Amino acid sequence: MERQIINKKKRVFSVEPNKIPPSEVFRRKYTSHLVPALKKLNMNKNSPQINQLSVKHEVDMALALSAQEFSWSRFLLQKLSSSNNPTTTSSSSNGIRIQERSGKEGGGDEDGETEEKLRELQKLLPGGEEMNVEEMLSEIGNYIKCLELQTIALKSIVQDTT
Amino acid sequence: MDLTGLKWLQQQQQMVSPEFLQMLGSDGREELRRVETYLGKNIFDTIDGCISRTSSFQTEPVKNNEENRAVALLNKRKSEGKTETREKKKKKIKAEDETESSMKGKSNMSNTETSSDIHKQDYIHVRARRGEATDRHSLAERARREKISKKMKCLQDIVPGCNKVTGKAGMLDEIINYVQSLQQQVEFLSMKLSVLNPQLEFHINELSMMADLRSFPLHQQGSLDYSVMNSNQTTSLVVKNDAFSSWDIHSQCPYNNLRTDPVSNFFSLK
Repeated sequence: MERQIINKKKRVFSVEPNKIPPSEVFRRKYTSHLVPALKKLNMNKNSPQINQLSVKHEVDMALALSAQEFSWSRFLLQKLSSSNNPTTTSSSSNGIRIQERSGKEGGGDEDGETEEKLRELQKLLPGGEEMNVEEMLSEIGNYIKCLELQTIALKSIVQDTT
Repeated sequence: MDLTGLKWLQQQQQMVSPEFLQMLGSDGREELRRVETYLGKNIFDTIDGCISRTSSFQTEPVKNNEENRAVALLNKRKSEGKTETREKKKKKIKAEDETESSMKGKSNMSNTETSSDIHKQDYIHVRARRGEATDRHSLAERARREKISKKMKCLQDIVPGCNKVTGKAGMLDEIINYVQSLQQQVEFLSMKLSVLNPQLEFHINELSMMADLRSFPLHQQGSLDYSVMNSNQTTSLVVKNDAFSSWDIHSQCPYNNLRTDPVSNFFSLK
């Protein structure tokens, strides 16, 4: 009896009887969050220029809301709700920093270098600095997947309007 | 100690021990027999003494018990390949004895204390390799490092282009670059969206649902693809997409298990 239960747990679950792949589920959630938000933004702003930052804010919010199973999404939500001025991911500056650092540490010991890189990775992940390394590595995998899906969804939205 | 828990442990032990014996190989099994005669008494009596001496330590309860056993068994296998000195033989016998007893002890109802301990907190029995310390800290450190390297392997499957690079640092570099590029893409797309926003048609929902699952450009091309893709090429919804198909493969990956959210049907559970 226990073995059956254990085996059952190993099976893949899906919420609906006709199996929807999780990528599709994410996509639907994401678009269902983003599009109304954009609509609202469109209507609310009287000025014709829509603030780029607010769009970014909505984009991030939609991501966080569509992926609520993960802990990084909680952190992202916190970040978004706490700051009225939406934060942008300063990814370009991070990139430059990485190049410099790897140049300097060419002769350094291996462990120190890995630690540095792990710390960099932690900065990229929302809420990564509060997690320990193992947890962070697991969350990064999920985060990457969600980012990929988000880009695809955004692309399709952008494309449909052109 | 409830009986269902013990039953479960018994099953676990049953599930593992044939593998265990198989992994030992013929000489291993012979050694086992030798161990039993060497001790001259029932193995179970030595449990208490052995556990105090062994290099076992507590970890946080891990959901996947098979993982732990695999770790223990793997270490056992590794050490068997090396040349044995007399000292090491002794260690091996002791450690073997304790791994054996830890397996059997779980199903033995007479030693309810040890079995309940093991049931509550999973012990990882790690064999110390030759020349390595057996104190708690280095063992914990080693287990931690192994966990991390396992997760890195999972990440290697996700991040494209990671297979060519070896070593932790290189892989981490790749992963960092990949995450950064993804974030940059999102930023760029949202900027584009903010420009286009006034012109948004709002039957977009249906459109995006029916939209082609375009293959993710980073997999195909080496560089980032900022250009909007050609809409003349239409593919079916069921297009195999690297990013998507590999998602299901990752249900096997341990990091998916670490969530405690009950509504975890979204991504498949193990």
